[in-house]
Amino acid sequence: MLTYEDRIRELRKKKINDTLLKRDQNGYTDLDDFGTVPLPVGYKVEPWYNSKNGSFYGYDGMSENFCRVMDAHPPYVDPLEMLCGRWRDMLVNYRGDVHYMPKWRQKQLSMEELEASGVTAQWSKRWDEIRFPYDELKPLQKRYNITTGIDGDAHFACDYSIGLSLGFGGFLEKINKYRTINPDKKEFYDAEEKCVNAIIRFIDRHTDEIKNLLKTETRPEIKENLEQMLETNLAVRVNKPETFRQACQWVTYFNCASRVYTRDGAGFQLDTLLLPYYKNDIKNGILDDETAKFLIANLLLIDPHYYQVSGVDEKDNDLTNHLSYLVLEAADMINISANLTVRVHENCDREFLKKAVYYLLKNKNGWPRFCCDKTLTEGYMKNGISKEIARKRIAVGCNWMCVPGKEFPMNDTVKINIAKVLEQALIEMKGIEEKSTEKLFRLFTKHLKTAIEVTAKGINLHLDHQWEVTPELIMNLMMENTLEKGLDISQCAELYTIGVDGAGLAVVADSFGALETRVENEKLLSWDEVYKNLDNNFEGVKGERVRLMLNSSPKYCGGNTVSDKWARRLTDIWVDKVKAQSMPGKRQLIPGWFSWSRTIEYGSVVGATPNGRKNGEPISHGANPNPHFRVDGAVTAQSSGIAAVQCGYGNTAPLQLEFDPQLALNENSVDVITKLILGHFSEGGTLININILDTDKLMAANNNPELYPDLVVRVTGFTAYFASLSPEFRQLVVDRFLIHM
Amino acid sequence: MISDKSVVADIERTSIHDGPGIRTVIFFKGCPLNCVWCHNPECIKSEPQEMFYPEKCIGCGMCKYGCFSGARVICGKEMTAEEIFQEIFADKAYYFSDGGVTFSGGEPLMHTAVIKEIIKKCKKNNINTAIETSLFLFDCDLLESLDFIMADFKIFDSNKHKKYTGVSNDIIKKNFLKLDKLNVPFIVRTPVIPGINNTTDEIMQIRDYVKVFKNIMGYELLPYHPLGVSKQRALGLPETQFDIPTNEEMEKLKSYADLRG
Repeated sequence: MLTYEDRIRELRKKKINDTLLKRDQNGYTDLDDFGTVPLPVGYKVEPWYNSKNGSFYGYDGMSENFCRVMDAHPPYVDPLEMLCGRWRDMLVNYRGDVHYMPKWRQKQLSMEELEASGVTAQWSKRWDEIRFPYDELKPLQKRYNITTGIDGDAHFACDYSIGLSLGFGGFLEKINKYRTINPDKKEFYDAEEKCVNAIIRFIDRHTDEIKNLLKTETRPEIKENLEQMLETNLAVRVNKPETFRQACQWVTYFNCASRVYTRDGAGFQLDTLLLPYYKNDIKNGILDDETAKFLIANLLLIDPHYYQVSGVDEKDNDLTNHLSYLVLEAADMINISANLTVRVHENCDREFLKKAVYYLLKNKNGWPRFCCDKTLTEGYMKNGISKEIARKRIAVGCNWMCVPGKEFPMNDTVKINIAKVLEQALIEMKGIEEKSTEKLFRLFTKHLKTAIEVTAKGINLHLDHQWEVTPELIMNLMMENTLEKGLDISQCAELYTIGVDGAGLAVVADSFGALETRVENEKLLSWDEVYKNLDNNFEGVKGERVRLMLNSSPKYCGGNTVSDKWARRLTDIWVDKVKAQSMPGKRQLIPGWFSWSRTIEYGSVVGATPNGRKNGEPISHGANPNPHFRVDGAVTAQSSGIAAVQCGYGNTAPLQLEFDPQLALNENSVDVITKLILGHFSEGGTLININILDTDKLMAANNNPELYPDLVVRVTGFTAYFASLSPEFRQLVVDRFLIHM
Repeated sequence: MISDKSVVADIERTSIHDGPGIRTVIFFKGCPLNCVWCHNPECIKSEPQEMFYPEKCIGCGMCKYGCFSGARVICGKEMTAEEIFQEIFADKAYYFSDGGVTFSGGEPLMHTAVIKEIIKKCKKNNINTAIETSLFLFDCDLLESLDFIMADFKIFDSNKHKKYTGVSNDIIKKNFLKLDKLNVPFIVRTPVIPGINNTTDEIMQIRDYVKVFKNIMGYELLPYHPLGVSKQRALGLPETQFDIPTNEEMEKLKSYADLRG
């Protein structure tokens, strides 16, 4: 008889095989694993284009193609699992964006589609530039290397309690109820209805598949499992879930649909939302802890959605409960890529925190990560938000938080490369007689203001028209006021606290620090020499000497260095300018420091910089310092340095740490990491991502990734299978790791 | 005249191997011993010294105008107690009740004036203080004011001790007796150097000498590591390298280091 343990072992094996298969199908992804499974042979979708640029938009385009992709999805039922359903393909693959397409999809492109994809020079056709052009913004967006957010989707969070209380049938009833109240919104309601029905058909195909499998299954315990799976499927087809298993299954189906639609990965507060189901089932004697753990492990296997655990309620009561512990134990049991965030608070259960740290050290898979309730809540309240709402703003994204159901923050989709802003300031100062770091800072500020202004214009364009381009038809189902008003969430959110991240802080801070040190204080270099060497990319031995002179100046995170001072000053001006940016209506911008995984891409367009960085080299990662920021690489210095550059309005400047497990797995090492976490948060930090890796294993995997398909690394806010990353990205992870050794 | 400054070779933050909790370690320059296996040979001389790493040289020929490649580095910087304390205080948020500062070196007891001043400041700020010492020197007031002491007992036989460290251990043995009267918890540590003191007899002799102390908290064996060799090379000193003890060897020796044995 197969035990849960046997089944998990088999499922892990299958997951590892799938990872390699997916890499062959998709090519290198440099992304989260997303929980997808490989496509079956013969899989094909016939997309319907409603734009002459080779893409589709709006209620009809999105709903029709969602149905086509969902209907093409074969059911996924593994008799060893308790839950069924997986996603494999997504709508964006059919929106004419050849650059982002997986390998298998590129092979399938018809001549017509290829021609269509070349109709305009548009990089991504997720945005309808024919109807909503923004050519006037492009020169400045390019000048400051702005990731505009135009064409973005998802990056907010559903309120799962809405869906769990309605079920898919409840969605249909709600749609029909409000369709009569808002007759002018027929197109919206038609599209929503069409999408929900596609999800129900998706469930039905799973039901059929389970029935098929039942015909041949001979193992009694697995047959029983399939029978229960069938019963669960029938129960959640239209009705709201009633049991823990049904709730997990319902979430799985919704997540599959939402992923297919826009790759949405925002989860929920896992240990409190599912708690009533858990308690009820335990009371009724239909669930035990081992089964609950298996179900959670199954949920995490199906999709590495971002889930938060622990934390406190609006009255500062600790939310940690028995299910919080089971979540950690379940994640340990399946031990794959997971995006669990533990919310840390002064009243939080210390034993729970230590247990979370223990699993981080034990499994070395980058989970969980840790966020700080105090700084996030108090910061978000500074935007004029109540404590009650601010507390509900949970960790559901790569580096970001969101109030489920209420907020439309576009988080992590808008970024300004401030290394590029510095480059523009340097170019302008070159023609000015009087040069100084003060002058450079004034020019930097001027360009930054321009960059923020053009970013804001892009955001407003996006918000004004997203509903006509990529309405959030799936996530709308679990947002407030959407179905009620017949409006897309991009039009009717209660909160528009839009995140704008700056990228390249360490490059810019160290550049200012190096100029102040070597040019102004020590007078070892003249401005002319600096410019000459930036222009020729520090060529020759003399150039290398200049580069080293600049690069060896005291760096950001060195510990109250000149560059630390500049990093704080840059943060102040960044926050001031972002917050001062005028926005229409309820919209406001919130500053953060985060590069996501774009350090290579961003660096490739920035010339040599005065911190001794050569032309085209990657920029610094998130709020992290540059390599060799201190001789001892002190984590506490890094932690304090990053805590001092928090933007303070509820968005993050994450601390990304890399450790070799020379730390033995014992009480002492758990204690040390716990103290680092609490220390960083007491100094004002917001989010900590920790990679615990074995140096030798990492190096070996870099040479032969196929031999280590189970190696998971925390890339930024997300974890990924090392074997799925491109060689360049693997090297970046290795380099980042080695500088801390 | 007592100097109000000390020459510091290095300050290492986030140390987790030099006492309890998360610590900042101050490596003072100057040591009355000259152990052949020393892993901090740059801390033996009291004065600042140049260290040369030829592999980092870019051949610019501008050494006299300053080296920025890391090929020529000056080890040692004069610092006041306040300057050192500010470095320690920077990590206050991470110390909690057990972490803090560890005075190391070299021999930190060559710097009593500055260290006493730092300890006062640490006490005011509730920062735990510890020392790593050879106990060749002794300062009752200073040692008594510490929270924790890590004292080396390198070799039991006095002549052998003199041969490999440059000094007899007679005074160190006496200082251990004085140390135990201070009522400050301490641990004894022996660096295990293959070919010199990696025998069960050696460990048992040291263990039997120290196990009677009432304030001893433990007896630890530290495996030799060759970190000092590249630094000897950089200082232009003769290189002395030993084998690294195996895990099995360390485990065996540790079984003889049990104070209950």
